[in-house]
Amino acid sequence: MTQLFLLFANFQLQLIAKVVLGAVLAGMACSLIGVFVVHLKVTSIGFSMSHAAFAGAALGLLINSYINFDPIISATLFAIGVALLLGPISEKTRLNSNVVLGIIFALTLALGFIFLSFLPSGVVSSEAVQILWGSVFGLDTIDFLLLGIINIVIILVLIIFYKEFIATMFNKKVALAAGIRVNFFNFLILFLTALTVSFTLKIVGALLVYALIVNPTSTVYQFAYDTKKIFLFSPLVGIASAVGGVLLSFLVDFPVGSSIIIVSSTIFVISVIFSPKRKRRQKEKSLEFIKRENDEVAIEHLSPETNMGVAKE
Amino acid sequence: MHFDRESFLTAINANIQLTSQRNNSINKIKFPYNDLIVKLENVDTVYEGERIPTLHKVSMQVSKGELIFIVGPNGAGKTTILETICGILPISKGEVMVFGLSVKQEGPDIRKRIGYVIQGLEFEPNEPFLVKDVVMIGRSGLIGLGKRIKEADWEIVRASLQAVGMEDFWSRPIGKLSAGQHQKVMIANALAGEPELLLLDEPFANLDINARQEIYQLLLKLNQEAGVTILCVSHGSDIPKEVNRVVMLRQGKLVLDSNRITAVESKIYRAFVELSASEA
Ligand SMILES: Nc1ncnc2c1ncn2[C@@H]1O[C@H](COP(=O)(O)OP(=O)(O)O)[C@@H](O)[C@H]1O
Ligand SMILES: [Mg+2]
Repeated sequence: MTQLFLLFANFQLQLIAKVVLGAVLAGMACSLIGVFVVHLKVTSIGFSMSHAAFAGAALGLLINSYINFDPIISATLFAIGVALLLGPISEKTRLNSNVVLGIIFALTLALGFIFLSFLPSGVVSSEAVQILWGSVFGLDTIDFLLLGIINIVIILVLIIFYKEFIATMFNKKVALAAGIRVNFFNFLILFLTALTVSFTLKIVGALLVYALIVNPTSTVYQFAYDTKKIFLFSPLVGIASAVGGVLLSFLVDFPVGSSIIIVSSTIFVISVIFSPKRKRRQKEKSLEFIKRENDEVAIEHLSPETNMGVAKE
Repeated sequence: MHFDRESFLTAINANIQLTSQRNNSINKIKFPYNDLIVKLENVDTVYEGERIPTLHKVSMQVSKGELIFIVGPNGAGKTTILETICGILPISKGEVMVFGLSVKQEGPDIRKRIGYVIQGLEFEPNEPFLVKDVVMIGRSGLIGLGKRIKEADWEIVRASLQAVGMEDFWSRPIGKLSAGQHQKVMIANALAGEPELLLLDEPFANLDINARQEIYQLLLKLNQEAGVTILCVSHGSDIPKEVNRVVMLRQGKLVLDSNRITAVESKIYRAFVELSASEA
């Protein structure tokens, strides 16, 4: 009996360790990508890409119900497709890419649900739920491998091209003027976003992976004026959110994706409340108010004299 | 006067040893050109989505070491011509050569040797970039793709900031500065790339009289002592006496291109001055 219990506990522990590792990797990749996505104000790109990946994964599940097939492959292909589509669009200044993104978003979501509706009911539906909401179960070795690889690739690319990315993020024209190939680096970001979204799909879920991309950087933005600090702290917040979310989902049996987003949103709200940037803004406002009040007082002091002056004349 | 790296660094008081720097990628970039630094031939520039070209049949040549003022009313195409020269805007007709190379083909490499100060850049108060990093961006192309930033690069960034009187703002967030200070930082950004050709789009806007004078003296020094070729857009009507040449644009066409004295006395220039006076 105790042996059975120990075996069970051991199994649980292994599962937790595995899932925490997955969460760390997913949190790190997503939040590093998030630094670009948030700063370049292309949050809708992350959004559309995660839904494209969802559609791809749904198609993959459909294929998998006939032949052995990993849905990550089709998810990745769909997300890269969006990157290829958006690359040229983001170069154009005239075309409103948000309109295009809106269409992609709706279309891929529709496609995803059509694919799901063709799935044979029963066993497979749990996998469908997994790609939508994320799950800590059913993560294979290959999933961990992909997560590890994408983290290494992102970090390497970041280290090698740090100054090029800083230039690209700062201002497109200034970067171009310095001789940086801005379009190439923008595309590189889109491409890495596509891979990150696809590889974190299983653990976080298609519907919420986008928030794990955006929330950590948005949190760090409340504190930091220095790009280097944003690149250092965003992954920390991302990892904390992902690990916290996974533990929460163990405790209360929420879907992982939802738990991660609850944790990361909570961190964000707390950071906004304690943001020195926001406080400074309020302080500036109140100083302005005091100044204005003083001015008004001064005017009041002045006015009787002026009146007197007028009266004397 | 030829561009000379040593005199450039002296002009901005950069305190670095040139010999220890010889292996830096900047010395490897050599362009096969003579004295003609910029050549525009029958150039049409069309903005994306527009049908009528903004610049029309513009031809112009700039020799090494010239100090040129580009004037003209709002919307004349002054900004457009600068961005055409450095290849940020694509041309639909004609040819643009800079340093003897086609801008269409060699854009990024050409821009590494050009400093471009964009007109009236504004930043959000929370922009997460420090002044030193913003200035370093102007040097990032020159340092080379994937190459690390070295101590000597920071020294040139520091000298560039000092040249515009902004060294005290080294690690301030860019968003916390005034419009005039932004302007100075962006001039330092252009200088940090050790440009052979400097394109400035209304660099004196947002600056008070003293700062204008200081920046102008700096440009003069770069031009006269380091041989930097300068094209400066100015919508003001007073043109300093050191300026070699005045180019005037109107409705996308080059309507005047001559030396300063002839330009200032010309009918077309006086009409422009009267027009800007009546607008002010
Ligand atoms: N992005 C753009 N798209 C379309 N037209 C533009 C764009 N930018 C400028 N223009 C037009 O090109 C003309 C020249 O603009 P510009 O070169 O900025 O003038 P200037 O710098 O002399 O004031 C103007 O008529 C302006 O309306
Ligand atoms: Mg202009």
